[in-house]
Amino acid sequence: MSPLLRNTRITTEYGHDLVLWRSRLAQFGALMVLVAFAAAPFAVGNYWTTVLIYAGIAAVGTLGLNLLTGFTGQASLGHAFFFGVGAYAAVVLSGRFALPFPLWLIGAAALGGVIGGLVGPFALRLRGNYLVIVSLGLVFVGQHVFEHWGTVTGGLTGTAVRAPVALGPVDASALALPWITLSRNQGYYYFVWLVVLVLALAARNIIRTRPGRALQAIRDRDLAAEVIGVSLVQYKVGAFVVSSAYAACAGAMYASYARYVSPLDFTLFLSIQYVAMMVVGGIGSVMGSILGALFLTALPRLIESASASLPFVAAQGGGGGITVFSLNQALFGILIIVFLLVEPRGMVEIYRRIKRYFQAWPFSY
Amino acid sequence: MSATASPLLQVEGVTLRFGGITALNDVSFDVQRGELFAIIGPNGAGKSSIFNCLNGVYRPQQGAIRFDGAEITGRRPVAIARRGMARTFQNLGLFSTLTVLENVMLGRHHLMHTGFLAGALWFGKARREEIAQRHRCEEIIELLELQPYRFQHVALLPYGVRKRVEVARAMAMEPTLLLLDEPAAGMNLEETEDMARYIREINEEWRVTVLLVEHDLQMVMDLAHRVMAMDFGRVLAVGAPAEVRANDDVVRAYVGADA
Repeated sequence: MSPLLRNTRITTEYGHDLVLWRSRLAQFGALMVLVAFAAAPFAVGNYWTTVLIYAGIAAVGTLGLNLLTGFTGQASLGHAFFFGVGAYAAVVLSGRFALPFPLWLIGAAALGGVIGGLVGPFALRLRGNYLVIVSLGLVFVGQHVFEHWGTVTGGLTGTAVRAPVALGPVDASALALPWITLSRNQGYYYFVWLVVLVLALAARNIIRTRPGRALQAIRDRDLAAEVIGVSLVQYKVGAFVVSSAYAACAGAMYASYARYVSPLDFTLFLSIQYVAMMVVGGIGSVMGSILGALFLTALPRLIESASASLPFVAAQGGGGGITVFSLNQALFGILIIVFLLVEPRGMVEIYRRIKRYFQAWPFSY
Repeated sequence: MSATASPLLQVEGVTLRFGGITALNDVSFDVQRGELFAIIGPNGAGKSSIFNCLNGVYRPQQGAIRFDGAEITGRRPVAIARRGMARTFQNLGLFSTLTVLENVMLGRHHLMHTGFLAGALWFGKARREEIAQRHRCEEIIELLELQPYRFQHVALLPYGVRKRVEVARAMAMEPTLLLLDEPAAGMNLEETEDMARYIREINEEWRVTVLLVEHDLQMVMDLAHRVMAMDFGRVLAVGAPAEVRANDDVVRAYVGADA
């Protein structure tokens, strides 16, 4: 009997080794995930569709962080800043310059990339903790600018955003299919997760080709990478550019969906959330970024909906016990610690272990 | 090896100091095209420091290094790698979370062109290049008999195999000069013999000039065309293996003052 999940196809050319979903079962699995995602907004209702939209936005941001930290080894707490840059870029490009849909999104990502490219050179002189401190400073500088550059950002109180996702007759906020018109939530859900799909594939492709191998070489051993001809300048800065562009793209989508942004949306806590999503999902894994974003975006909402039946947890402050909000904040910290200690490779490693178990089945190894 | 051709590598009066310590003191030697040249010496003699100067990791305070007709003293490692100098590290410089094939493919980095954008798009240029470069990588994997390990992560491989992966990665760079820093260190007799066979094949069949630093004297004496002996950052003797072994200074450095 052939083992359950093993790829039994024979390799006859090198191209076969480059196929992402090789076995029939893997192809079937990927298709099922796609179908499940397509059906989700109809199955889970309006509230959870909103949660999934925010999860998709977080997935894009986490992908960006993972490209920089997970694959290139450059730790950063600065992603809230690039997320904010993307959000305000959407405000200006769409609101003030009246750029149509794909342009304001691309423009926001490009601006994030450019600013990332300006910050990148710091990583050439600093590493580890020192780079973390610089990126931390970036968040505070960003906060200051967001709060005080009132003409662009609306200052402390924030600004309304008019950045519609509409191209010709296709409008995400009222997507008309022949038999049904989708709600705004449903339309944005498909838009956001389509972007996640495209950017996740792009990240996966970068990782498995020349630039991605160079990034991982720098992460594993930067001196050896240089000696075999990998330019640290080019690839460290390149990682910052791509990573910041991802974060800015996420920020632009956030602004477009939320329709209102204020500096409070781009605090250090957001950076920490991304780090938590990356650690919990899987450092150095594309799928892990998405898993982590889904899990950590849904978890607070799950706790919220269960707060009535949880002891010591109050929906509002002042009633004794810990509030849902502070419980969630603590939870992110606890999850980072627990995963780093118990499962440093994240949820994706749990998935891989389960897969290996069935691949070897009925044997135990 | 023709006498008229200029040497592939010329090192002239290289001096390297770290604070008060002189790691290399006025070191000069030539490596001819096609030669298998070995450097021997006790620990701390300056063997690895020479390698680090050659490929640009250290910048010597004095002296000049010419490689393949061009002055490379003080150039960046990346530039020197692109000119065709490849090396292995004494204590392994592999990318341990990547597979053997990915490590070997990384050797071809400077011969490839896919950037971030083409890589992200995958279809077309990036995919074609992956397949085209894979052919040459497979020849090198065959040379070093790494076929069983192709898709295994380097961190999980035994030490002797990892040493071979590093040579394979260096060979994937299509070097004209290959620097091997103690390729047989920590290996058992059988693995050492295998490594000697690979080095000879690289030098004779693949026509790559080899500069070898090694502790295993037997291996050096068997393989090398010429040997340079060093101690305390100075050159003691250069010449045919038998000559160098008979040199009084060399014997003193290795065995002791009364020998």
